[in-house]
Amino acid sequence: MNGSDTPGPVVGLEKVTKIFNGSGHPTAAVREVSLEARRGEMVLLLGPSGSGKTTLLTLVAGLTRPTSGSISLFGRSVEAYSAAELQALRAARIGFVFQTFLLIDSLTAAENIEIVLRFNGKRRADRAAKTRALLEELGIGYLAGRFPRSMSQGEKQRVAIARAVANDAELLIADEPTGSLETRQAVDIITLLHGQARTRNATVIVASHDLRLKEFADRTLRLHDGMLAPG
Amino acid sequence: MDMYAVRTLRSQPLRLLLTIGGIALCIVLMLFLLAVYRGVADGSVEYIRQNRADLWVLQDNATNILRGSSLLSLDQINAIAQAPGVRTAAPVLFLLSTVRKGNKVGTVFLTGFEPEKGLGGPPQLVRGRSPRADDEIVLDRSFARKFGFEMGEEVDLQGRPLKIVGISRGTNAFVIQYAFVTLRFARKLIGVPGLATCVLVNAEPGAGIEPIREEVCEVLAGLAAYDQETFLANNVREMRSGFLPLLYTVAIIGAIVLTAILSLLLSVNILERRKDFAILKTLGSPLAFLWGMVIKQALLIASVSCAAALVLFFPLVRVIERLSPEVTTISTGGQIGGVVAAVLLLSLASSGVAIRRLRRIYFLEAFS
Repeated sequence: MNGSDTPGPVVGLEKVTKIFNGSGHPTAAVREVSLEARRGEMVLLLGPSGSGKTTLLTLVAGLTRPTSGSISLFGRSVEAYSAAELQALRAARIGFVFQTFLLIDSLTAAENIEIVLRFNGKRRADRAAKTRALLEELGIGYLAGRFPRSMSQGEKQRVAIARAVANDAELLIADEPTGSLETRQAVDIITLLHGQARTRNATVIVASHDLRLKEFADRTLRLHDGMLAPG
Repeated sequence: MDMYAVRTLRSQPLRLLLTIGGIALCIVLMLFLLAVYRGVADGSVEYIRQNRADLWVLQDNATNILRGSSLLSLDQINAIAQAPGVRTAAPVLFLLSTVRKGNKVGTVFLTGFEPEKGLGGPPQLVRGRSPRADDEIVLDRSFARKFGFEMGEEVDLQGRPLKIVGISRGTNAFVIQYAFVTLRFARKLIGVPGLATCVLVNAEPGAGIEPIREEVCEVLAGLAAYDQETFLANNVREMRSGFLPLLYTVAIIGAIVLTAILSLLLSVNILERRKDFAILKTLGSPLAFLWGMVIKQALLIASVSCAAALVLFFPLVRVIERLSPEVTTISTGGQIGGVVAAVLLLSLASSGVAIRRLRRIYFLEAFS
């Protein structure tokens, strides 16, 4: 199944609630959230820390199951996917960008990207060529052999974006992508993410508390106490 | 080899080194035990293997010479020699005795045989010759080295002077070593003429051994006769029953320690890198990929440890044999290959223990 062939939304949430039962006290992290994201669309989930943004992203990616409500991914209910299918989906069609970049410290920039390509069974030569091309495209070819510890925050996030789009992901999920960056770097990074998504006609769902991101989003949804706020 | 698998191991060099050292020592222990076992096995039964007799005749109920008690009288020995179809009947008397020179004293498994019969003597001579006269003795190489006895020297055996005329090999049974004298001399030591422990029988050409066995066992009451293969098997079984339980126990302890060390390293590595594993899971890594990394790490450590163990093993064996000459070791390619294969299997078992931890790493840990 290919998302580009699916006429409906890439992501669809219908009255989704997620309750965590920590220490015997149930806490609703997400409550009755309904949303859709179409192909090529950039949706910004704006909200303060603790508003349920990250939980919502993990639900969208099929990493956690909702307590109630339904989620569809690429036109199919998440419930209908097996664990192996969800894993294959994340490897081939979903890219992730995290606030703290989450690069593997013991791998170089190029290896951090290549390892994701391996999950899709790409051959070694193809992986190397694709990684090289991607690093050049993002203007960070010089980082190929460097380890994360020797990179600036902005460079790390560029490598993380390269990793996210390496598999030509149709859905990019970004959790506070500018949260660890200074203003100038933050603008650069969101511009880059936006540009990469546009080039690939990928759907982007960004969770952030950074108001500057509004100007890049096609749609902004405000999240407060796990609920979407009106307007 | 997967770069992630290699680099995560190298990131803690001291820990890696200690692990490899610990595992290598376990492998050395296993190799050493096997080598000692082979040495003991060889030393215990090489005498029987090399003294090829059609039949070994002993007192009934004695199935072997290592831990059996048998005494044959002169009448029985003569009757065996005169049985139809017997070409040679060579009596052999085994005794425990002490060899002494000055303040050096060692106990030997004294073997009295008739040199002219060509049976029952030392299986292999590394120097010198077999005893011909009653004042001559052949000592085991390890025994001679341990006590510093040299060829041509005179030693004392229960008050009787004997000249060392030969040094034998394949005669070190670890806890005791063979020494060879004439049967006449051995009999003088116990003061009872005509006694023997067993008789080695060779049949006339063309004569079957079954009629001889029947004659010996049925006509001469109280005797048992074994063909070469059966008697060798009896002695091997006896040797194993005394030595293998110890070998197995220590080898199993070594294997458990090895598996525990490797499991511990791999598990600690996973726990320290659990965020990496959570990230990889989130990014779509198949479980098989993560398992593969752990298995590669286990195999890599096992392989390096095997190499380190082999580098250590041979010099260590030389040192041990020099310090304790009674320890005779025999190492073969088959033994080494077997240990390496066992270690690789154990490393897979270790990775299996560690892999179980991967299941308890959750996607959400990447977001925390």
